[in-house]
Amino acid sequence: MSSSVLVCDDSNMARKQVLRSLPEALSQSAQIATNGEEALGILKSQKIDVLFLDLTMPVLDGLGVLQGIQDANITVNVFVISADIQPEMQNKVLELGANAFLRKPVQKDVLDQQLQKHGLL
Amino acid sequence: MSSLNLNEDQQDCLQEIINVAMGQASDQLARYLDTFVYLKVPSIEQVSAQSLSMTLNPSEQAVAVVSQGFFGYEGIRGEALLMYQPKDSDRLADLLGYEPDELSVEEQIIDLSSILTTTFLNVFASQIDNQMSYSAPRLLASSKTSVSQHVEQQAFNWDLALKVKITYQVTDYSFNCDMILLIPESAIINIKTVIDRILEEY
Repeated sequence: MSSSVLVCDDSNMARKQVLRSLPEALSQSAQIATNGEEALGILKSQKIDVLFLDLTMPVLDGLGVLQGIQDANITVNVFVISADIQPEMQNKVLELGANAFLRKPVQKDVLDQQLQKHGLL
Repeated sequence: MSSLNLNEDQQDCLQEIINVAMGQASDQLARYLDTFVYLKVPSIEQVSAQSLSMTLNPSEQAVAVVSQGFFGYEGIRGEALLMYQPKDSDRLADLLGYEPDELSVEEQIIDLSSILTTTFLNVFASQIDNQMSYSAPRLLASSKTSVSQHVEQQAFNWDLALKVKITYQVTDYSFNCDMILLIPESAIINIKTVIDRILEEY
């Protein structure tokens, strides 16, 4: 069974960067969200296995999404993909339950490695 | 009229390139000051040479400004201005942990500005397959008039520019620094070509 994937980023180009770095089995049926609120709505209404999440976004940012996931007790693998690479930010997202922090622009081999590491490939 | 107008995809692509550069510059600043830098969404707008000095510093407050030119291949060039409020420059010595007689406040501001400017622009350049060189950073006398004069001198050979403003906010110390990049029209045309090349790959 293939995993259901959600890509959340306000930038069209950043979303495309993620989608084209994913193995086809995952990218084919991937859904997209353009801000955190949209993503939380989708997460609450259907089962998502893997979420790729940007941090700096309008309406609701990535930290807000991570908090919302915790508050609603949603089980989902979250990979944060952000340009904000400060160590403090990386620690913060891991504390809020993300599986891993990946720096932008995301690289295919890094993404593969992380998916493999978390048993998603 | 102007060739500066970016379409939605070009704007999105430029914004994403700037975000990545801003993230790495903030990381440098955070490590240098041993603190956390809060990132805001950068603003990108078109300005004319005449209106520029007005948009730079709407408040009448005196500022310290460090100016540094940058030059890449394919006619990509511009001017980076790092702007500090007086209370911020007073804080710098504490932030940087220098001994009182080690370096003057002016030297510290130039140091910090140069780190931010070169980190940002090196990352920016590498994403568009370019490489930057820099002029020596200059501290402009901290009055609004001299900043305007400096900008006007820079502006003499262009009418329109893209103005990118990035605010670095160090929350622990309530310290702010604005980075303003002015990229003249001729350079933007070249950047647009590169952006279109990147977009074609998607």
